[in-house]
Amino acid sequence: MRPFTLQKPTTIGQAVSGKKESAQFLAGGTNLLDLMKKHISQPDRLLDINSVLSEKIESTAGGIRIGANVRNSAAAANELILSKFPLVSHAILKGASPQIRNMASMAGNLLQRTRCPYFYDTSLPCNKRKAGSGCGALKGETRMAAIVGHNPQCVAVHPSDLCIALSALDARVIINGKDNKETSIPFKDFHKLPGTNPEKDNNLPANAIITAIEIPSNPFNKNCSYLKLRDRESYAFALVSVAAALQLNGNRIVEARLASGGVAHKPWRWYEAEKFLKGKTADLSNFKQAAEIIARETHPLNGNEFKVPMLKGAIEVALQNCLTA
Amino acid sequence: MGFFKRKHEPKKVPEGRVEGFYKVTGSGKYAAEYKLENVCYAVLVGSTIAAGEIVDINTDNAKDIEGVLDVLTHRNRPQIPAFADEAKAKRAGFSLPVLHTNKIFFRGQPVALVIAETLEDANYAASLVTVSYKTDQAKVDFDKEHATVPIAATGKERGSMDAWSNAPHIREQAYTIRNQVHNPMEMHATIAVWDGDKKLKLYDKNQGVNNVQQTISRLFDIPPANIEVFSEYVGGGFGSGLKVWSNVPLAIMAAKQVNRPVKLMLTRPQMFTLVGYRPQSWQNVRIGADANGKFLGILHQAKHGTSVFDNYGEGITRISRLVYNFGNLKTESATVPLNLGAPTWMRGPGDCTGAFALESAIDELSYDIKKDPLQLRLDNLAVINDPDTGKPWSTNFLNECMTKGAEMINWKSRNPLPAQTKEGEWMIGYGVANGMWFAGRSKASASIIMQKDGSITVQTAMTDIGTGTGTGMQNIAHLELGISHDKIRIKLGNSNLPAAPSQGGSTGLSTISGAVAAVCDALKMKLAGYASLQDAIYKDAKPESIVLSDSGIAYQQAGNHLISFDKIFSKENLQTIEVEASSGPGEERQKYAFCSGASHFCKVRVHTKTGKVKIDRHVCVVDAGYVVNKLAAANQVSGAAVGGIGMTLSEEQVVDSTHGCFIGGDLAGYHFAVNADAPIIEVDFINKIDPNINPSGAKGVGEVGIIGAAAAIANAIFHATGKRLRDLPITPDKVLLAKS
Repeated sequence: MRPFTLQKPTTIGQAVSGKKESAQFLAGGTNLLDLMKKHISQPDRLLDINSVLSEKIESTAGGIRIGANVRNSAAAANELILSKFPLVSHAILKGASPQIRNMASMAGNLLQRTRCPYFYDTSLPCNKRKAGSGCGALKGETRMAAIVGHNPQCVAVHPSDLCIALSALDARVIINGKDNKETSIPFKDFHKLPGTNPEKDNNLPANAIITAIEIPSNPFNKNCSYLKLRDRESYAFALVSVAAALQLNGNRIVEARLASGGVAHKPWRWYEAEKFLKGKTADLSNFKQAAEIIARETHPLNGNEFKVPMLKGAIEVALQNCLTA
Repeated sequence: MGFFKRKHEPKKVPEGRVEGFYKVTGSGKYAAEYKLENVCYAVLVGSTIAAGEIVDINTDNAKDIEGVLDVLTHRNRPQIPAFADEAKAKRAGFSLPVLHTNKIFFRGQPVALVIAETLEDANYAASLVTVSYKTDQAKVDFDKEHATVPIAATGKERGSMDAWSNAPHIREQAYTIRNQVHNPMEMHATIAVWDGDKKLKLYDKNQGVNNVQQTISRLFDIPPANIEVFSEYVGGGFGSGLKVWSNVPLAIMAAKQVNRPVKLMLTRPQMFTLVGYRPQSWQNVRIGADANGKFLGILHQAKHGTSVFDNYGEGITRISRLVYNFGNLKTESATVPLNLGAPTWMRGPGDCTGAFALESAIDELSYDIKKDPLQLRLDNLAVINDPDTGKPWSTNFLNECMTKGAEMINWKSRNPLPAQTKEGEWMIGYGVANGMWFAGRSKASASIIMQKDGSITVQTAMTDIGTGTGTGMQNIAHLELGISHDKIRIKLGNSNLPAAPSQGGSTGLSTISGAVAAVCDALKMKLAGYASLQDAIYKDAKPESIVLSDSGIAYQQAGNHLISFDKIFSKENLQTIEVEASSGPGEERQKYAFCSGASHFCKVRVHTKTGKVKIDRHVCVVDAGYVVNKLAAANQVSGAAVGGIGMTLSEEQVVDSTHGCFIGGDLAGYHFAVNADAPIIEVDFINKIDPNINPSGAKGVGEVGIIGAAAAIANAIFHATGKRLRDLPITPDKVLLAKS
């Protein structure tokens, strides 16, 4: 990797002021170090923020606050999360491997880069890695690519499982900006679509640091499920994944949440299908119709058309699993 | 970390794997782990185009990096003598003229080698080498190219194709498999150390130190005796270590250039392009049977990819000539040159590909005939004679494998009709398939060094790539000599030890067991010779009537009166007793045909909405002669079967024909099976001795655990769903989209 200097800020203020163009934050390093070894990310300086950020999970008036530096495995095993927001735990446990989850931070999980093979191979075109070089996947291998929200600039998908659950649960990303004041970004606005600048994955301001993730209290802890379909049973990224959550009154759906991974440049919410399910009976026939609505929103690429029927199946199964969860 | 810095020696040889202690404590060294004084590090730069020529290479920026010692390219590297002319290179058996040409044959081909004081310096500097190319049209699309390559007869035709053209049942289908890579845990690595101009030491990851020694001898024009190769611990191979790859001559050239020891370890991405793979294949099988299911004939055609610079043939159709009686048989094959790295033997090479087509086609035929696929196979097995040579099988208990496996998985409980058994949204199915591998044996040597305390070290140049060869050798020595396990040490993987062939093709144990038995006899006779100086009756002793123990030698004719080792050593004033012996195949190879066989049974569940395939049970019953060490043998079969699960359901090294290359180069994107994909593999053995093959009666088990596994799984998927999947890997999308 390119030589770099390592700095250890001791306060959030120091971390934020040290974050210049050529510097990057280092928390768990499970993605960044790989990218550095492959010369995809070449920072001059690394700011080790491990002693700066919170490792606490706290109950708040409105829900829960998860410190940025909580490790993925700690969050997955946390009693509060398991009882109030089990969907988060289910999703985390479908991601990566135990070793990686032990290292990876919660905030870092939000910032992981795509696993598109063209992004990872520096000798192939990729607009996300090198603006203006073209999209290698578009006319190449699209198995892992998007079916919604993509454009010819970039067909890569967001790789996280955790984020799909956070998206479904309307989490908020808490950040400290240049002025070191705490603000927040709604989860749906945190990650972005490729647009004309696919090299940017999200709307985190340049100098800002994520300090926490907040999830508002919700009634989805009883009937929720996370289904991940992939090419092997563990340690593989999603072909498609579904975070599903239902608030039920008897057999009637009061509120539904549906989000997917492996389909878009950002965690993707299926708002139309959620709207359809609201007030309906929780049964297979309605789940099938929701899946149909979702299928109509998709625009698969040449070579990944299979994701549409697979997604439909996954939506149905994930919703059914909500009833037996 | 102090633990890893201390030197660890067990108080006594532990039970289980002889190498286990050393691997677990880290004291056993893999190739890249040897610490050598003054060593420097090399990182190679691969071509970014698949076909064409290097026009220019700029190494200035790389050389400017502090710590960089030199950058080798085709312009400034030391000459490898054999690359001076093509005939010599061909004789050397090394087809890629690495850094000796400006031609590019595949993407990833080494075009420069950066040598630096540290790995980090070398790695960073390697990213700064820039190359400009003249690009030619690359051929990487196997599906497109294979249609243009004519097919030719391979092996002798039996009977005629006309004889069964009106057979009551004929099935003809094409089967395809994508590229798969070995990627053993330990990356290929070489540390090269020159001693003057003509002596060389290599610490290298491979499956045969003598093969490396011979190849490098021919390439560099140095006598083999001047080349020492150390591969004492090998972290897996699956066949990728059977060839000498570019990392070896590159490290040697670099060490020459900077006149220092040089370490070159491939990166994981480079493991995907530089050390072989199982090539993509197309097969067509036409199979015919009479109304009762007696096989009448087969046509088996196969094509597979190879590289443009190195023609490699898999022998895919061989399996169809061995397992069943086909009175009429024709096998044809072709290789398809592509601008990809060179493919090579990968676990169960050829046969594992061929068995997928053969055993799928038989399965399809069984449903046409409405005959139990198990019975159809049993009725047509060739367990008496090898149908190809007509020679009697020395032993072949494949029928017993089938019967035993069927009991284990409770085959008779299965509904004979496909797509009938459901559990919620899961469809349940059973499949069966057979595998076979020729049981080879080569010549090898071994030696024993005995110490005064009666402990011995058995040693040979052969490597143990994780198969348990060393442990098997210990068992054989114990059985032959009577000396207890904890007094038998094993030394392997060093070219200074008695010569042995590479460990591959399931021949390792079969080969070395003869040498171990022979050297055990030699030790007995040597000891009897010394004993006869004290008791003349030992003069007539034969190895079979001599028994050793931990304390001494005994002989039946001498009333089993024991003469202690201590007495022999002190009387003759000996420090050690050393013997060496060789053993190899003989005329039994003229009389008999030899094989290992396996029957695979699989129970799967397939999700109707997501296409997900889950393997509930996988049974593998193996006939491989006498089982020298059941734990190690079962471990081999189990690992091979898990490899078979990956091959069937998920493994694919994707080729991008637009960019002319393999796509993806990491283990997150290449989906070999993980524990969660496999049930506990249920392994059993027939365990009947093959009296002719070698002194131990044991045959190799490394390959048969994967040969047939894919078809058993695919057949089970058909039985579950009524969907016939003929293109591996059978990923969930294919299951979902297939028509029943």
